[in-house]
Amino acid sequence: MLKKRVIPVLLISRDRMVKGKQFSEFRDTGRPNSAVRIYSSQDTDELVFLDIEANQGNDHSHESLISVIRSAAEECFMPLAAGGGIDSLDKVRQLILAGADKVVITTAAVLNPDLIFQTAKKFGSQCVVAGIDYRSGHDGARVWIKSGSVETDLDPVSHACALVKLGAGEIFLNSIDRDGMMNGYDLDMADKITEAVSVPVIVCGGAGNFMHLAEAFTKTDISAVACASLFHFGDNSPIRARSYLRNLDIPMRVLK
Amino acid sequence: MIGIIDYGAGNISSVIHACGRVGEDAESFSEPSLAVGYDRLILPGVGSFRMAMEQLNDLGWPEAIGAHVKSCKPLLGICLGMQLLFDEGDEDGPTLGLGFISGKVGILQTKASHRIPHVGWNSLNSTQTHPIMEGVKDHIDFYFVHSYQCVPVSDENVLARCDYGGKFVASVAKGSVVGMQFHPEKSQPAGLRILQNFAEWDGQC
Amino acid sequence: MLEKIPVLKCCTKCNLPETYETIEFDIKGVCNICRSAEARDDNTDWGERKKLLDALIEKHRGKAAYDLIIPFSGGKDSTFQLLYLMREYKIKPLVVRFNHGFMRDTIAENNLRTFKKLGVDVIEFQPNWHVVKKLMLESFKRKTDFCWHCHTGIYSYPLRVALMYQVPLVFWGEAQADITGYYDHLNDEIEYEDDKKFNMIRTLGITAEDMHDMINTPEDPVDVRDLTPYTFPPVKDLMKMRYCSVPLGSFIPWDYKNNTEEIKRELGWKADQLEGVPDELNPHGEKIECFMQGTRDYIKFIKRGYSRVSQISAFDVRSGRLSTEDAVKLGAEFDGQKPPSLEIFLEYMGLTEEEFNTIVKPMAIPPYDHKFDAKGDAVKTWDFDKFYREDNRPK
Repeated sequence: MLKKRVIPVLLISRDRMVKGKQFSEFRDTGRPNSAVRIYSSQDTDELVFLDIEANQGNDHSHESLISVIRSAAEECFMPLAAGGGIDSLDKVRQLILAGADKVVITTAAVLNPDLIFQTAKKFGSQCVVAGIDYRSGHDGARVWIKSGSVETDLDPVSHACALVKLGAGEIFLNSIDRDGMMNGYDLDMADKITEAVSVPVIVCGGAGNFMHLAEAFTKTDISAVACASLFHFGDNSPIRARSYLRNLDIPMRVLK
Repeated sequence: MIGIIDYGAGNISSVIHACGRVGEDAESFSEPSLAVGYDRLILPGVGSFRMAMEQLNDLGWPEAIGAHVKSCKPLLGICLGMQLLFDEGDEDGPTLGLGFISGKVGILQTKASHRIPHVGWNSLNSTQTHPIMEGVKDHIDFYFVHSYQCVPVSDENVLARCDYGGKFVASVAKGSVVGMQFHPEKSQPAGLRILQNFAEWDGQC
Repeated sequence: MLEKIPVLKCCTKCNLPETYETIEFDIKGVCNICRSAEARDDNTDWGERKKLLDALIEKHRGKAAYDLIIPFSGGKDSTFQLLYLMREYKIKPLVVRFNHGFMRDTIAENNLRTFKKLGVDVIEFQPNWHVVKKLMLESFKRKTDFCWHCHTGIYSYPLRVALMYQVPLVFWGEAQADITGYYDHLNDEIEYEDDKKFNMIRTLGITAEDMHDMINTPEDPVDVRDLTPYTFPPVKDLMKMRYCSVPLGSFIPWDYKNNTEEIKRELGWKADQLEGVPDELNPHGEKIECFMQGTRDYIKFIKRGYSRVSQISAFDVRSGRLSTEDAVKLGAEFDGQKPPSLEIFLEYMGLTEEEFNTIVKPMAIPPYDHKFDAKGDAVKTWDFDKFYREDNRPK
C-alpha cells in the first residue's frame, strides 16, 4: 500500500535557507547543503526546494537553485523537487539535468498555464507539481502569485482543476495565512482540493507539531504534508514524525 | 564500468552518483557504438514512452542495446526504462518498445479512490528470488512515480508486484535483463543495495 | 500519591510514553525499543560478536601511536568501556574527554582514580565558555535543547583527535539501539558512530557551520574557528584512515547494573546523587556526570510528560529487575519536579523562569499538555553550592 509522505520544505534566498511567517519576516535557518546532509542522514521521504528570490527580480537566483539541486543530488538519494520562478521549459530542463525529479510551477501556472502542458508533455505529468499559494479574502480564498505579492481573481479549487487538466501530476497547496504560524494546516481547503482533483495533493503552511500532521492525514485525503517551521524550530525531525504518525496507524515509509 | 545510457530522457546524474555511492564506477554516454565498452548498462527514463522510443530510434540505440543483451551482459531498466524493455506501449497511441520482454505497457489500473500518478513510497511482494533482490525484504518501501504499468505476458518474468488498489508488476527479469518500476537511485538505503546487487551480478540466474 | 499526567499512551511493558522520541507500539502495545531488546537477548550471537571484537582489536594493535581512542566522560558507561577493553585486551588507548563544562566533583575524583589505577594517557578538551553560552542559548531557543555543544562536541571531537594521531579505531560505550528506535537489534547489525549518525541524531538538525552563522553577529562576532570542536571532521580524511568508530555495546551484552558493580569493585567508582531522582532508584549512577542534568530532564518533562525516573525504570523493566506496575508508580510519583539547577541555567542564559516556560511549553509533543507547578521542587544535591555560578540576568 502507498504510504503517506512527510516532506521538508527548504526556502532558498541568496544561497541561504530562510523561514518566515505568512511569506514575510524571514529568519535565517542555515545553509541548504547542511539541511540536505541532515535530511539525507534521516532518510527523509522527499525534499522540496523553493527559491523565493526568483520573483524579486534576482537574476542569479536560478543559478543558485540549480547549484543547490546539483549538490543535493550528489549527496542524497531521495526524490527532490525544485521551484521558484520557473517560467520556461529551459529552466525546467536545467533543473532536471541538475538532479531534480520534479519541478514546482506556481506563478507561471497562472501567467502562462501552457508551460504546465508543455512540461508534462516533454517530461511527463509526474514531473510537474503545480504550486498554488492562496490567501483568504472577503469573497473567499484567492490565488496569489510572485511569492505571495500579487493577488489574482482565481479561486484555488477551480485553478487546481484547470492545472490538472493541463497535465499537472501533483498539487502543492500552500496557505499563506497559515505559513509559519504553527497553528495547523488549513484542512478545509485541503479537503476541497482533494475532493476536486484526482492527482496527489501535498498540503503546506501551518504545521507546528506532529498532531497537525496527523490531523491532515486523518481528516483529509492528502497524500503528503510539507513542513518547514516544524523542523527548523522545535525538537522535531522527520524520523520522529514517522514514528509518531505510525503510532496513530497512519501508513508511513518502512526502511528496513 | 557501468554505462548509463544518455538519450536525453532521463535524470542520469542521480543514477551516476548512486552507483558511485555503492563504490561502482559509472558514467553516462550518448554514443551507441560505445556500448560495447561497458560490462553493464542502465537504461533510465522519465517522460513518455512514445517520445523516449522516438529518441532511442533516432539515435540508433536499439541495435546497440540489443547486442549488449544478446551477449548476456546485464541491463537494468529503471522506471520508464523498464517500460521500454517491453514489446509495446500505448501512451499517445501504440508504440513499439525494445521487445526484450513480452508484454505491453498501459495506463495504471487501480481503484477510483486511488490517485494517479502513483507517487511515493510503496513496498514489493516478491514472487521469485533473484540475485538483484538479494537482501531486499518485502515490507521495505521504494520510491515510485509513474502513471503507467507493465503487463508481462508470462509470470516467469515477474520478480515482484506492488499493491496500489490492485497489484501491478513492479520488477521484471528475463535472462540478463532486469527492470524496476521504482527508482532504486532515489530509494536510499534499500535502493542502493539493489544497485550494488546489479553491479555484482553477472547476468546469470 | 500524585496521579500520573493523564492520556499518554504508554508501552505496556516498559511504560515509556508515546511522546518518547522514535517510540512505536505494536499490536500488543509493546514498544519497538523493548522488542529490539528482546531480539538482542534472544537472537544476538554474542560469541560471534566477541570474535569480531577480538579481530578488530588485533587488526589495530600496535599499528599507530595508540591502539585505539576511547571517548570518555567518566560516567558509568565510559568508565566500564575503558576498564573492559584494558582488562580484556591489554591495549594502549588514548582516552579523550570532551569536558562540557558542567562536570561534578565526584566524577572528577572517580576519573583521577580510574586513570591512575589503569595507567592511561588522557587528553581533555574544554571549549571556550563564552562560545558555549551562546551555543546553549541559540540551541535552546530553536530546539528547546541547550546541549547542542555537548552532543556535537562529544561525538565529533574524539574523531578529530583520532585524525590528529592517525588512530583509526574508536570505541564508544552503549549502543544507541538500547535507548531509542533510531537503531535496533533486529537485523543483526553493528552500529557505527559515523557521519550519518552524527547528522541524524547529534546535531539536532543544525550543523556547526549553520550554528556559527546563527550566533555570529556584527555586535558580538564569533570566530569561525570557535565552532571547530563541534564540527564533524572531513569524512574523506576519516575514510582514508579507514576509521572504525563503533560502540562496545554492539560486541558485548550491555548490562549497566553489572557494569557499574564492576567499576565500583575494580576502580572504586562512586555513584552520586541526581537531581529529581531518589538515591535508592539510582544506585548505579545514571547521568551523574553533568550538573545541568536536572534541568535537561525537567525540559523533557515539560515537553513530553516523562523524565529520568521513567527512563531508569524502563531499563529496569527490560532487564527483568522491575515490574511494569512499579515502573508506572515510580514515574508518576517522582518525574517532573523542578530542579534547583534551573536557577543556574537561567542565570547563565539571562532568562527569567517565565521566559523559559514560554520557550519550552509550545514545543510540547502532543498530546502531552504540561501543567506548571503540579509536581513540586526537587531537593538540591550535596554539591549544589560548588557548581559554577554566573548571573547574566538583566539587573
